[in-house]
Parts: sequence; structure tokens; C-alpha cells
Amino acid sequence: MKWALAALFMVGVVLVVAGLPMGQPQPDRAARFGGGVRVLPMTFSHSSHFGKPCATCHHEFADRTIGPTCMTCHVTDHRVAPLLAAQFHTLCQSCHLDESAAGRPSGPTRRCIACHLDDQAF
Amino acid sequence: MLLAGLILAVAALADPWRADGAFWDFGNAMGFVALAGLIFQMIPAPRGQARPHERLGYWVLGVTLLHAFWFLAGDAAARFYLLPGGPLHMWLGLAAVLLLAGLSILARMPDRLRLHPSYRHFRKLHRYLALACLAAALLHVLLSGFYLPHGWQGAGLVALALICAFGRLRPQVAAVPAYLMAGGATAALFVLIREVAL
Repeated sequence: MKWALAALFMVGVVLVVAGLPMGQPQPDRAARFGGGVRVLPMTFSHSSHFGKPCATCHHEFADRTIGPTCMTCHVTDHRVAPLLAAQFHTLCQSCHLDESAAGRPSGPTRRCIACHLDDQAF
Repeated sequence: MLLAGLILAVAALADPWRADGAFWDFGNAMGFVALAGLIFQMIPAPRGQARPHERLGYWVLGVTLLHAFWFLAGDAAARFYLLPGGPLHMWLGLAAVLLLAGLSILARMPDRLRLHPSYRHFRKLHRYLALACLAAALLHVLLSGFYLPHGWQGAGLVALALICAFGRLRPQVAAVPAYLMAGGATAALFVLIREVAL
């Protein structure tokens, strides 16, 4: 049994390090959005978020700090770049969960690959 | 009966409207079934009934591995949660899997006798490792904060675990068929409630 578990452990390590060998599009962690921080790609479409107040996500509208696109700042500013994953997961997921709980079309709430593919449009 | 009730109780603590498709919900249902099995295994077995406890342990490990590999093999982005920079709750989940695998391997004859000539010593170490595994698994579920976002849900889960681990419950004979049937039914219910009913 210990050898079977050791083999499974090795399969797990390979899956984590190299990803799935086939069958699905593979996201990669790379420098994106003009910053040096290696991040996952993101799928986002403004058109499917019409109806939401812009300032829910675009805090710069309320802060009057309009400048480069939001992602540029979030991956280059050393104060917020380390918080990127936590901040965006909280922002996107909380809203999607609220919609889901209200029985409205919510988009993805948890599945990683549903958001982390590059659509070249974020 | 207690085992089936425990599986249902653990799964019932999760928010029924928290869902993200049958794939994700089934994978997490497996996680809850594994956690319930782990909690049940903390109740002492009657004297001379160690074999059923051992057999159920293998199934709990199997369901735990199914839960982990389900996501690794089915969601190409999930692996980034286990790479450097991944969140603490995922490392705790990995720790729980490794501890559970260690518990099973170290308790298996004849390796157990080689490592622990004294049964008392083995039992003590087995118990401490199991408590560490249970703590890591509970923190994995609670810190992920997805299905159990409210404090009362977390408190309920911890209370169930504490009662089984430290309460003076009647020794229980572990039953694999009951675990598989109750676990399968609970997993199906877990998914159906989220995908069909709500």
C-alpha cells in the first residue's frame, strides 16, 4: 500500500507542477497587465456586467485617481500587488455569490478555470 | 446509524445556495464525506474491533484522495493553489492528506510492529497524529470559507469534531458498507439540492 500511495503522491506532484497533460486549456502564471508580478490570466467581459454600478469595481472613479487601467496599478503598486488574488477573489466572488444566493444568473462562483483563462479582453 | 447521521450532519452544515456546478459541488461533497469519516474515526473502537476501524480508515483515505485528485484532474487552474503563493487553507488541506496517508501506513501490520513494539506507544502516537490531521482538515474547510461562511456553521462543525474526539461516546464499530451507502447518498443529495432544487 505504501508504494501505491507513493506513486499517487508522485502523480499528484506532477499534476501540480506540470498541469494536466491534455484535455483542457492550460492557464499559465506570467507577467501580465504591464507589471512584473506573475499572475494568472483572467476572463472578464464588461458587457456581461452592465447594470452594475461602475464604482463597485472602479474605485478610482470615486477616489478621483483616474489614470492607467485598474490592473496596471494592481500589479505594479507594491502596496497592493501582493494582495491581488485576495482582493479580486473577494470583490468578484462576493458579488457572484450574492447573485447566486438571490437565484439570479451569477456567473462562476468558485470554479478556478471558469475565470482564469485568457480572453484578451480584461 | 451514528456514522450515517454524522455524514448527513456535516454536509447539512454547508450553505445550500452556495454552489458552482455539479463538478465542483460533487468534488466538495467528497471532501465533506471524507471529513465526516475522519471525525467518526475519532470515536474509540470497541476492544478487539480494530480491523473495522482500519478498513474504514482506508476508505476515508480513498475518498480524501478522490476529493483532491478530482479538482487537480478536472480544473486546470486548481493546481496553482498548491504552488508557492497558494493560500494557507490549501496547504492545510495538503497537510491533512499527508497526515492521513501517514496514519494509514504507520498503522499497517507488520510495519506497525517494527516501528512500535509497544501497543500503548503506537496508540498514543496514532491518536496525536489523528488529532493533527483532524485539525488541519477542519481548518482547511473553515478557512476556505466557501460552503461554511458563517460562524455558527464553523462552530457546529468544530463541536461535532470535539464531541467525537473527546466526548465520552459509546465505542463504535466502523462499518464500511454504511459509510459508502450514506456517503454516496449524501453526495448525491448535496449535488442535487444545489443543481436542481435551488
